Amino acid sequence: MIQFEQAGKTYVHPLTRKRVVALEGLDLAMQRGEVFGIAGPNGAGKSTLISLLMGFLHPTSGRVTIDGRAPRTYIEAHGIGYLTELVALPPRWKVPTALERIATLAGVPSGERRATVTALMERLGLTEHAAKQIRQLSKGNLQRVGLAQALLGEFDVVVLDEPTHGLDPLWTQRFRDIVESLRRPDRVILIASHNLDELERLADRVAILDKGRLQRVVARPGSSESAAMRWRIVFEGEVALAAHLAAVEPFPGIANGWRAQATRPEVSRALAAVLGQGAVLVECSPDESRLESAFREAVQR
Amino acid sequence: MNRDQSPFRYLGWHALDVARGPLVLYLVVSAMLSFISWKMAQAMPVVPTPDVFQAQTADATLTLAVLLATAGIISADRHNGWYRAWFSKPIAPWWYYLQRWLLGLGAVLLAPVFLGIGQVIVLKSGTGITADLLGTIALGYLLIGSTALLLAHVTQREWLLVFVLAAAQRGLAGLVKLGVELPSYAEPVFKALPPFHLIAPEEPMLTGQPLLHVAAYGLAMLVAALVLVEKRALGSGGRA
Repeated sequence: MIQFEQAGKTYVHPLTRKRVVALEGLDLAMQRGEVFGIAGPNGAGKSTLISLLMGFLHPTSGRVTIDGRAPRTYIEAHGIGYLTELVALPPRWKVPTALERIATLAGVPSGERRATVTALMERLGLTEHAAKQIRQLSKGNLQRVGLAQALLGEFDVVVLDEPTHGLDPLWTQRFRDIVESLRRPDRVILIASHNLDELERLADRVAILDKGRLQRVVARPGSSESAAMRWRIVFEGEVALAAHLAAVEPFPGIANGWRAQATRPEVSRALAAVLGQGAVLVECSPDESRLESAFREAVQR
Repeated sequence: MNRDQSPFRYLGWHALDVARGPLVLYLVVSAMLSFISWKMAQAMPVVPTPDVFQAQTADATLTLAVLLATAGIISADRHNGWYRAWFSKPIAPWWYYLQRWLLGLGAVLLAPVFLGIGQVIVLKSGTGITADLLGTIALGYLLIGSTALLLAHVTQREWLLVFVLAAAQRGLAGLVKLGVELPSYAEPVFKALPPFHLIAPEEPMLTGQPLLHVAAYGLAMLVAALVLVEKRALGSGGRA
């Protein structure tokens, strides 16, 4: 449904003509029914990618299409549920007014508008802030208003840029539930986030960007056993784990602890071997997620 | 979900913004001017007739009134990043801004109506509103308002730029009227600038070639401003 074909964006300073490549040769396709994550360090090109998708910027090379059409053509006909990284709304508008206005633009019928906004405010815990102006909201509450306006209209494409930015742990969890409830076979949800844990829980696939280039696309964690990840393994007493695993080293600061880089089957085999020799296992857990491993390898930092 | 696809679905909100913004201001200024004219009528044996008072007021305030109605229509949205919320929804930016701009015209045309009502109330006279006056105000809105809309693509303070341009152009026109020969570099500048000097509410409504000149110039800038809204990237950076 969403297609980036060799898409690139280079900014040129109007006076110095200095060129900054924000995105280069991006090939990416997102299908209906999937939740797609975008990860990358600061300056990786995530926001530029989203601006290209929204048609707020034009690519300097390649092309971006939604359902085969240029982004602005698609959006002007169908709309997109879009949460910006920095939620920006006129500061003096009251919360329900802001949402009713956006509901109007989203095409929510006038007879349903107020009820839709009221229900959404309740769902996102905004009812108690109904009397407040946008400028009086805390960062977390403003983020929830941003999320609410993105959910108005029930669009086939939903784009969430740093959706849990400023949310407390409770609302971060609720946000995950909301995204799960948004899943539909005919809808594509794109989430750009610094939070790898969040992407790992929500996304079916995650594209890792760095320095404006697509480094790799990681499929939903747990769906493959072939990828190596980092493990923390602790035994009671000394165990010669290095004899059974290639990439293993003592875990700094943990007595009889090991840090291993291996796939699940490799770790299982090694553990079976040492446990068979009488070793006593205290702990064996992923030291980082598979997405974190992939991210670390991709950005080489 | 059934979707309201009416292209006019946001018009009510636009109208509310115009009513709460420039329209209220015009109402207050009209009330103040009516009060002043009432005081003048008490103090002076001869006061301007309502139509002259209307024309003089329009002459003195038209540029300001138009800028009040048009400033920030595009530039505030772009500068503050509000456009990201509006234009992720199914509406064409050019249409969104055109509706707001046309409502501004309605507001500016209501200003003499408010003043006329004030005149009727305090002086027990006529409103002083003439077709020529309304025509000139509409023409002035087309020229000044479309200049503001176009310059909003360049600067966040388009109102200031229009004000400076209008002052410079009227200054040059004044020199030409006095028979002063413009320097060779100023001549093409004068010709290229919007013909603000032709908007004169105290004079009869333009006809013929000057009318065509102003109308064509205004329309061309309006179309250019709206085409730019569609064709030019609304953002200027990843997060902008």
